[in-house]
Amino acid sequence: MTQAQQVDRKLSPAAGFWLRNREVLKKEFSVIGTRVPRIESKNKVTGEARYAADMKFPGMLYGKILRSPYAHAKIISIDTSKAEKLPGVKAVVTGKDTIGARYGLWRLREETMDEQGLALDKVRYVGDEVAAVAAIDEDTAIEALDLIDVKYDVLPALLTPEDAVKDGAPEIHEGIKNNISVNRRIEVGNVDTAWDKCDFVMSDTFKTQVVQHVPMENLASVSIFDSTGKLTVYTSTQSAYFVQCLLAMALGMKEGDIRIIRTFTGGGFGCKLELMGDAFCSALLSKVTGKPVRIAYTRRETFVNSRQKTSMKMDVKVGVKKDGKIHAVEFSTTLDGGAHHSYNVTTTMITGILGTLPYRIPNYRYNGRHVYTNLPVTGAMRGHGAMQPVFALDHMIDLIAKQIGVDPAAMRIMNATQPGDVKIPNICHVSSCGLQEAIAGSAERMNWREKYGKLPDGHGLGIGSYGFFCGALYNYFNTKRPYAECWVRVNQDGTVHIFTLMAEIGQGCDTVISMIVAEVLGVGLDAVTIKSDDTGIVTGDTGAFSSRTTMMAGNAAKAAAEDARRQLFIAAGAKLGLKVQDAFDIKDGNIFIVRTGESMTIAEAAMAHQNANKGAPVLGRGIFTPSSHLQEGTVVSPTWSFGSQVLEVKVDKETGQVSVLNSATAHDCGIALNPLAVEGQLEGSIHMALGYALTEICKFDDKGYMINANFQDYKILSALDMPPVDSIVIDTDDIHGPFGGKEAGEGLTIPTAPAIANAIYDAVGVSIKSLPITPEKILRALKEKEGK
Amino acid sequence: MKRLIHLKVNGEPYEVAIHPYRTLAEVLREELDLIGTKEACKQGDCGSCTVIMDGKTVTSCLTLAVEAEGREIRTIEGEAKNGKLSPVQQAFVDHGAIQCGYCTPGMVMSATALLEQNPKPTEHDVRMGIAGNICRCTGYTKIVEAILALAEGGKK
Amino acid sequence: MRLPKFEYLGPKTVQEACSLLAQHGDKAKVMAGGTDVLNVMKERKIRPEYLIGLRAISDLSYIKADADGIKIGALTTLTDLANSAVVKEKFPCLAEVPMKMATVQIRNMGTIGGNLCNAAPSADTAPILICLGAKAKIAGPKGERVVALEDFFTGPGKTVLGKGELLVEIQVPNQPAKTAGAYLKMSRVSVDLAIVGVGVVVTREGDSCKDIKITLGAVAPTPIRAKKAEAVVKGKKIDDALLEEAGKIASQEAKPIDDVRGSAFYRTEIVKVYTKRAIKQAMEQAK
Repeated sequence: MTQAQQVDRKLSPAAGFWLRNREVLKKEFSVIGTRVPRIESKNKVTGEARYAADMKFPGMLYGKILRSPYAHAKIISIDTSKAEKLPGVKAVVTGKDTIGARYGLWRLREETMDEQGLALDKVRYVGDEVAAVAAIDEDTAIEALDLIDVKYDVLPALLTPEDAVKDGAPEIHEGIKNNISVNRRIEVGNVDTAWDKCDFVMSDTFKTQVVQHVPMENLASVSIFDSTGKLTVYTSTQSAYFVQCLLAMALGMKEGDIRIIRTFTGGGFGCKLELMGDAFCSALLSKVTGKPVRIAYTRRETFVNSRQKTSMKMDVKVGVKKDGKIHAVEFSTTLDGGAHHSYNVTTTMITGILGTLPYRIPNYRYNGRHVYTNLPVTGAMRGHGAMQPVFALDHMIDLIAKQIGVDPAAMRIMNATQPGDVKIPNICHVSSCGLQEAIAGSAERMNWREKYGKLPDGHGLGIGSYGFFCGALYNYFNTKRPYAECWVRVNQDGTVHIFTLMAEIGQGCDTVISMIVAEVLGVGLDAVTIKSDDTGIVTGDTGAFSSRTTMMAGNAAKAAAEDARRQLFIAAGAKLGLKVQDAFDIKDGNIFIVRTGESMTIAEAAMAHQNANKGAPVLGRGIFTPSSHLQEGTVVSPTWSFGSQVLEVKVDKETGQVSVLNSATAHDCGIALNPLAVEGQLEGSIHMALGYALTEICKFDDKGYMINANFQDYKILSALDMPPVDSIVIDTDDIHGPFGGKEAGEGLTIPTAPAIANAIYDAVGVSIKSLPITPEKILRALKEKEGK
Repeated sequence: MKRLIHLKVNGEPYEVAIHPYRTLAEVLREELDLIGTKEACKQGDCGSCTVIMDGKTVTSCLTLAVEAEGREIRTIEGEAKNGKLSPVQQAFVDHGAIQCGYCTPGMVMSATALLEQNPKPTEHDVRMGIAGNICRCTGYTKIVEAILALAEGGKK
Repeated sequence: MRLPKFEYLGPKTVQEACSLLAQHGDKAKVMAGGTDVLNVMKERKIRPEYLIGLRAISDLSYIKADADGIKIGALTTLTDLANSAVVKEKFPCLAEVPMKMATVQIRNMGTIGGNLCNAAPSADTAPILICLGAKAKIAGPKGERVVALEDFFTGPGKTVLGKGELLVEIQVPNQPAKTAGAYLKMSRVSVDLAIVGVGVVVTREGDSCKDIKITLGAVAPTPIRAKKAEAVVKGKKIDDALLEEAGKIASQEAKPIDDVRGSAFYRTEIVKVYTKRAIKQAMEQAK
């Protein structure tokens, strides 16, 4: 199916106006825009795919990590002697066996690096890594943990930001006063003078909860130090590059002496982005024992000891004109960071950007502060830095719309960000944007005009909108700009090998990168093999996060394929008698001269190239960094995705239970390169986001211990809980994206929580300002409303 | 003390010496190298370790291997025959019902057992049938579509 | 999460199981389907030296109808209970319960005896069985005894089972004409433990409720009868005001706690609503 057919299939005739860029759709692609099942489907559906915990090596030992039972304590002593004597135990390591180095993602900002592989003198949350054991089997390792004797001096645990910022509160990290480690501020226009010019001003406080990413595959690594002192780590990760660099820091090694091989990775969503205990402790234990060591996290460890989503308390003030035009927003948020920074140095900033992305806000002030607490570490998660502020602001819009008597969907269209907008000078510049079309489209699909405010009591419609990065550009690692690298080799038999380091973690990037290369080289997907798992081959990609795969790795792959194509053309030209005025085309595995129709196969051209170049194969190289068109060091994303979602709910007023009856989502992801994958991202996003809105929360007791680190009490929606999901693809043909594609992975998680809150507000007239929106909160609010 | 037990997995007889506190999932993965069966929670809540035992699905993480002795066990490795995917596997591929793939083997086993017991499931039957398998990637939509496509007489 | 070490004992008869239980006492734990026991062992909440698996006792999985009602072997799986033609015919309200429990896999493994002996306050099979006047047949060193299921539970995880005793059968007596029941379960998502479970069985006479039993789950240390609420309804013509009143009284009889699944406040409110709805539904069914 061509792109044009594909898009037309998705649209009702009345919806044609959404397409601002129809000429794009006239382009004929052979691979791009077709519905392609992921290329590794068979490996996965037969069970042959090997994930990290499936890896086994001769002589392999099994590692386990001893974790702190206290939220905050000094380590007085650790006695490992009994554990070491247990038969089968091969090594026990503690902080003393490390070089004590601090590491963190902001390598250029040393003061933010606050993690150590094993605690040296202090533990900062329940579950902090204290010691690790390697033994001949997992049972022995578990038994050995019980034999390690740790003496603690227990300190007061600071379990809320409110407690942590109090004067006199103990410092969780030495020298961080009041435990406030990051402050970020954004100012646009003049907020102070803006309020007077508003016809209506509303203030409120919103709260979001801690949730976990819950990839189905738990974290796991196998580390192998060989006798030359070089290290290979097989690991489940979103970023082999970050693991490589952070391990080098933590172990005091050269990055080039560490090779990371990403195994099949069973989801990540942000919690497999950094160096965690599985990789660090297995590497250290392998160094000590000289054997391969595998550490596989339990579900509890994935919950508590990878990362969690940052909870926020947000004070929001919004001023509007009487027609509903937003005039000023003041937004202050406190991030509960848990025990370490992780990604939150970034989160503290981007919350202020992403909150303002969907709507035009002429006067805007943002204050974000990051507070350490003695809870598990929070950081990046799908919808990073956006789900929290958009919940607050997008629900607030409905509260205001009600007060001033404006239709909430109309108010959104009126205020929606548009192509070319400068949201925040030098920070957030919009290129393509289909948000107005998305709002109109999703509303129309759900019969907004007929239904909104007119449904029977207990039934309601709600809308939410969003925008998101397509590859954030913070230069927190080594280069001024992040970049992506790709190599494409065309073999003598016409097969094509792609080398990249962009991580396939389930989102489908191996497939979409292969599609891009196949499109450029005019070959079928069956001719393409992709290798994306090994830092020993291509090093230039920071991995799968920030919705950067299509934009960054996709562009790099396109450039590499074009480089390879150029080499093929040169080789073919020599053979086919190319004239100056001639143009080539490449299609169906053949290269031909357009004027004459003279052709040869790609395989023949590849061989001709090799014969003419001392045997060197056709090897295209592509690098992409967005700096050419963007101001260096400031702008945070080359472009942005946008979208809107409408949900219909039914609320049982006696129990507070919410049923989601229907949904429609319009997503502007540029050109949908693989519509099947875009739909999959959308459907999955709604699932995760509904959990965020309604059921998911990490709960802690008064000692900081997570009491629901299991699926019995951390409630993820099952197939029975899902509403119908309808998707509308808004094509905008972005100038920066490969073949006009933008992100489709994270933005889609953002609108659901506000849409739910808004639909409940429409259904029963109560506004719930904290997530998750449980039946109990609704019931209490209903009772309070009746009491009034 | 280890015991010698006999397991029949995908029609093949196996003899293994195991401790009584070994679960079937552990024995499949660690002793028989049948790593297609995944473990994501080990508490019977996620369904990743689903296998078919005497025609019915069970979570192999809550099944003692000693109690699986003498019973017919089917795992994901036995579903494709002679390099050809089973109809359920093929439908999962064609419908885009796979993302990260970690829940996929268990999901395929649940779908297979469901269709064997009820060849004409309604959409609700399908959702009931896979409610014990958590998927974090797909939102289940394409999985339900894939299974319904195999329901006798086509979709619904 | 791996199991702690234990020795497995697989008795072939009830007799053998009882004597092993008597012999090992507190060092032993009985396992039926394993879905509860193995989980708490993995969490290291209990570490029995001996696990007595009942799977080899082949004659404990049955559903038999006789002149008095039906008899359900303790090892009958929840799937078999749900699919049983005789249960569907005689006690449709009981046949519906398993489908509100857990997942296909767990229903294929978990047994009715296991669900009852686990004695969770939220055990889903208990409320409706208690309302139906079910009895528990217990085998032990001194022979067999029968207790009303209502008296079977003594606290969270605790039952009347003494040393060497084993639950072997659930007996459900025939009900009078125009009798029907309903079990309503409040949970956070479809697959979940009960936050509140309300079982109701009514015998109808015209528009009146001739007889009624109400049992509440997950709102007290054991499933409890809401006898005051029953008294409000019994013998009366059912109308909305009476149902409201019954719900209110039942909610006063509940003694819920706050836990990770729900608050005492919410549970109390749900008892109020679900008692009302369950009576209404049961009355409809009993027409």
